[in-house]
Amino acid sequence: MAFWRKGKSGAEPTRIFYACDIHGSEPTYRKFLNAAKFYEVDALVFGGDLMGKLLIPIVRDAGGTWRARLQSQDHHITSAEEMTQFKRTLQTLGFYWQEMDPEEYGEYVGQQDRIDALFDVLAKDRLAEWVALAEERLAGSHVRVFLCGGNDDTDEVLSALDEVAQDRVVNAENRSVPVDDEHVVVTVGYSTPTPWETPRERSDPEIAEVIEKVMAGVADPSRAVFNFHCPPLDSTLDTCLKLDASVWPPAPLMENGQPVHYGAGSQAVADALSGYQPTVGLHGHIHESRGMIDYGRTPAYNPGSEYGEGVLRGLIVNIRAGEVIGHQFTSG
Amino acid sequence: MAEAVAPQVFTRRASGLVRVMSPYSAFVYNILTMGIIFPWVFMQAPTAFQGSNLVLAIAFAFLFELPIAMAYVWLATALPRSGGDYVFQSRVFGGGFGFTVVFGFFVVWILQWVALSGWLLATVGIAPTFIGLGVTTGIGTFTDIGTWAAGANGIIVISILNAIVALVLLVSGFRNYVRFQYLMWYAILLSFGIVILLFLFTNPTSAAAHLDTFAANVDGTSNFFSTASSAAASAGVDFHPPFWLIGSLLAAPIAWTSLQWATYSSEQGGEIKNAHVFRSQVFIMVGSLAATAGLLILLALAMEKGLGSDGILVASSGYWYGVSEATIGGNIMFPSFMAMGLTGSWIIVALIGLGFILNSFQIVCNCYIGTTRIMVAQGLDGLLPDWFARVSPRWKTPVNAHLAYFLAALPVIWAFNKVGDWSTKWALGVTFANGAVMVLSALAAALLPYRAKKVYEASPGAVYTVGNVPTVTIVGVLGFLLGGFMVACFLFVKDLGLAFTNSAFPYMIVVGTAVFALIIYFVMRSVRSSKGIKVEYAFAEIPPE
Repeated sequence: MAFWRKGKSGAEPTRIFYACDIHGSEPTYRKFLNAAKFYEVDALVFGGDLMGKLLIPIVRDAGGTWRARLQSQDHHITSAEEMTQFKRTLQTLGFYWQEMDPEEYGEYVGQQDRIDALFDVLAKDRLAEWVALAEERLAGSHVRVFLCGGNDDTDEVLSALDEVAQDRVVNAENRSVPVDDEHVVVTVGYSTPTPWETPRERSDPEIAEVIEKVMAGVADPSRAVFNFHCPPLDSTLDTCLKLDASVWPPAPLMENGQPVHYGAGSQAVADALSGYQPTVGLHGHIHESRGMIDYGRTPAYNPGSEYGEGVLRGLIVNIRAGEVIGHQFTSG
Repeated sequence: MAEAVAPQVFTRRASGLVRVMSPYSAFVYNILTMGIIFPWVFMQAPTAFQGSNLVLAIAFAFLFELPIAMAYVWLATALPRSGGDYVFQSRVFGGGFGFTVVFGFFVVWILQWVALSGWLLATVGIAPTFIGLGVTTGIGTFTDIGTWAAGANGIIVISILNAIVALVLLVSGFRNYVRFQYLMWYAILLSFGIVILLFLFTNPTSAAAHLDTFAANVDGTSNFFSTASSAAASAGVDFHPPFWLIGSLLAAPIAWTSLQWATYSSEQGGEIKNAHVFRSQVFIMVGSLAATAGLLILLALAMEKGLGSDGILVASSGYWYGVSEATIGGNIMFPSFMAMGLTGSWIIVALIGLGFILNSFQIVCNCYIGTTRIMVAQGLDGLLPDWFARVSPRWKTPVNAHLAYFLAALPVIWAFNKVGDWSTKWALGVTFANGAVMVLSALAAALLPYRAKKVYEASPGAVYTVGNVPTVTIVGVLGFLLGGFMVACFLFVKDLGLAFTNSAFPYMIVVGTAVFALIIYFVMRSVRSSKGIKVEYAFAEIPPE
């Protein structure tokens, strides 16, 4: 297969498309899969945060109509056509939904454990559908999809990756997986602690330990593609507002009437980029911090995320013999 | 069946996106960008279109801008990210078009505004303030400083310092600017309020007497107002012109050069809190437009009350006809300068002057903020070298883009003040070019539901339709047509823009900037292509199915 001759010195570069943080958005995920053909890439690498953040109860109303609340607006759904359109909007926004009677809805209100369990069921179903869709769409091509979770994904939901993945989908979580005959994709999906106390946060030493463990199996670090969900600390790829975690939801911390910005990345990731000098660093997590920075010879990128608008932010990188030959941020 | 409930959204523990600039700050930002204290319409329209009505001209400009601002509301909520017009037009028309229009007509032409803001700071801020202080305190040094500030070398030095201070402030962090903006906002409001009150509490006869005294103290002239009136009449000013409706309509584009900036906050949509919320953007853009139009109308009414139409015409003749007798200390009689002449208090002069100085400074900040964000977006898209897109790890700001824009502004500042026919030949295109960007963005809004269907469908504005037609298409077309009328005026009406010199040269400059941008586009496309990358990928929407 031509694919396996790629990436070597003097050969065609291997083209990777990277995206992350799509948070349950159906059209954005479908675009991610179609990016393989659209951008003519050899591999699709996903950087974590597959799960959506909101669940919209669609509550049955008198007379066969439905009520729901979305984007601070009440919606009264009166026909099947309106329901289809409403669900389509939820799919684009990355939200889950559940049709329920008022009594059932009442049983969920204030019961966070029950809500979280429902989230897991719906998110796992959606992820399983996504994996199956990837297998179907990429069948017969040489393109593989490297999927992993981010800090916002639960282990329960991520178990769908191993359960459904077959040929084209690779569960890349905490592993190094060859992407051509010269480079490997090294994936770590954890983030440092956030004010949101999300499911998969680890301390910097713990992240460093995971990286060390995965890198132990990598023969040539200079040929590694780092797919680390968390960006390096204070790198401009991790700039966001500092939040007060003592309130819920966390609110911006103010100094002299102004919000405070800070780097929310990982020192362990920064150290790994500086120390291993891999081919490239691919990062996400901080949606608003799209950009690039160099760590010695290694360029690191965060393409950002705008999944809520159905826009797939991403990055194409051409790599050859341990170097990035060219890159392009995309907005597809 | 159980009774109806209003279900709430279920959430889980997941990280969220938070932005820095409040809608109120963005609202203030837009008002300051529109420059309420040096509106050109007061200086140009009364003599350029004699018989026109200032209030009507401002009202026309408000009505023409309204659909454009509404169209931007849809765009800004559908695509709430930094880069504004570039992002909108690239998404709808394609990258080559978006880059060419926004780089050529915004990034390049706004360099004129960097020079102009320095000129304003010197001639409308520092010079009148120090001259006013010299008169009210009797300290000659103040007058000397004011006179120096109004000269070409003074303007160049002040313009460069203005640009350097803005550069340092913005590079040190956007939050520092936002903090400083509050000081500018309240100082400008105070200054504006004082100007209004001074006009309201006087009458034309008293105002003429005060201006006579003021001019005598500055220039040593006597009977300033009657001398200026006679000179204006000799230059062609008709002090009793019949009302001219079409003239008022033609004056609207001049007022639009202020009001068109009601949408400028869209350039940093990625930094505005709740930028995707429809009513927030209505408040930010339409609200700032209405507030500024209201303030300008209030100023027009106050000037009419305090100065009378004769006073307004005399002041205008000093600017538009270049009647030197209608200037004081070599300074054009902007509304606030005349207001300084009406008071004998140095404190009032200082407060008015501070507002002018800060608003002039704010203009140059706006130039940097908007254009550097566009350049960063274009750098990330591969249409400018990566260097422009780099954000400093230390300052967390696009230092390279700021530095590049500052360096590019230096020759423009020099030329603006040293090249004799710069403003009538080289710089005239700014009115057309900036307006054209906004009009094309209105068209982009109209086409958004068809050219970026998914983006539109996911936006909050998608729920608004008239029959089966998206409302954004209606306001976008309306904005395109009404804005197109004003842009066409800048192209073809002699007293408004490019036709002023009866020369092809200003048109060639405008075409030249577009060609320059197009060349950059093709060069960068070629460079990226040599690395196996297509820049078209930056904008092309992937079909989800």
